[in-house]
Amino acid sequence: MDHPQTPRILAPHLSNFQHRIVRMLGKVVQLRGETAVIDAGGQVDVILSRDSHLTVGHAVEIIGKVDGNLAVKVQAATDFGTNIDFNAANAVVEATHRYKDIFYDEN
Amino acid sequence: MELEAGAEMNYNNYETSYTSYGAGGGAAGGGFIPGEGSQQSPGGRREYTQDSLRPVTIKQILEAQSEAGGNDAFKIDGAVISQIRNISTQTTNITYRLDDGTGSIEVKQWLDSDTVDQTNPTKAKLVEGAYCRAWGKLKSFNDRRSVSAQIIRPVEDMNEVSYHLLEATAMHLHFTRGAPGSAQAGTATTNGSAGQQQAAGGGNYGGYDLAGYTPVAKRVFQYLREAPQSNEGLNQHEIAAKLGIDTADIARAGDDLLAGGLIYTTVDDQTWAILEAD
Repeated sequence: MDHPQTPRILAPHLSNFQHRIVRMLGKVVQLRGETAVIDAGGQVDVILSRDSHLTVGHAVEIIGKVDGNLAVKVQAATDFGTNIDFNAANAVVEATHRYKDIFYDEN
Repeated sequence: MELEAGAEMNYNNYETSYTSYGAGGGAAGGGFIPGEGSQQSPGGRREYTQDSLRPVTIKQILEAQSEAGGNDAFKIDGAVISQIRNISTQTTNITYRLDDGTGSIEVKQWLDSDTVDQTNPTKAKLVEGAYCRAWGKLKSFNDRRSVSAQIIRPVEDMNEVSYHLLEATAMHLHFTRGAPGSAQAGTATTNGSAGQQQAAGGGNYGGYDLAGYTPVAKRVFQYLREAPQSNEGLNQHEIAAKLGIDTADIARAGDDLLAGGLIYTTVDDQTWAILEAD
């Protein structure tokens, strides 16, 4: 019922969000069975869940927890197709951190 | 500039105009959709003439303050884009739990008995996990907030998510800092996009993120950090003299740093100190 806030981040932000649940939009670069690599302002290792279906070359939005190795353990993944403007998406991430009042609480 | 690009996207004919942004709400109520008007609360007719909708995040909805005196009038009504987490269908309404990453809220769409039987193709796409755009009024009942939606439709082009969040940010800045064109808001937006290109090349500013600031702003910040000073900080003329930069440029750099929350004014508007992060 309760859904925690999921700040939108890119690869360079990972270290500031360790052990938090985040939301990342990136392009799937590589699938390796139970893990995958996405490009979200830099390469990010993603640990897949059983029901996450990623497609190489597609954009994917991942909600997951950042672990101590800066990998993201997926809780939910949504396919965003192949028509995503990553410049706009990355500008969103920048805006969310610059004007956090309307996006997320620090903790 | 991303916003301009976004605005050209053609969302299907549900698009509502966000006309009267002004707090006073002009005579022509902004976002209320004619033809969907059969949704007055049972308690009686309410005046909708002051309504206007603006794009918001759910966090803004959850933190919106109710207007003094108004029983259930909020300062924010709006449009949100978010992911559907849960759907519960009742006889009189469908309740969607929406989550946009900034928070989650229940959105109720009251069913019109005339339309119940129609098989609505957009409804079929409103499934758990899908993104939707919802327009509606903010309600509060027993301290529980919800949105009573006039329209909920599925999002088909995922770029609309970015578009909405940037638009919500632009509106937020419009209300908190004034319209673009007034100097501060203008530079803040420009710096935002410049930040994209410069993000990689940030210098060492002791944990502060100065990506996106002008070189002058970076020098001013660095100088404020390093120069000996009292707790009143330093005057812009002193900084200008020390750095050998025109005072007007220093003032502009200061405005940017103030807008970004990196410095604050002390004894007067021209005297600044570093805002220590906690």
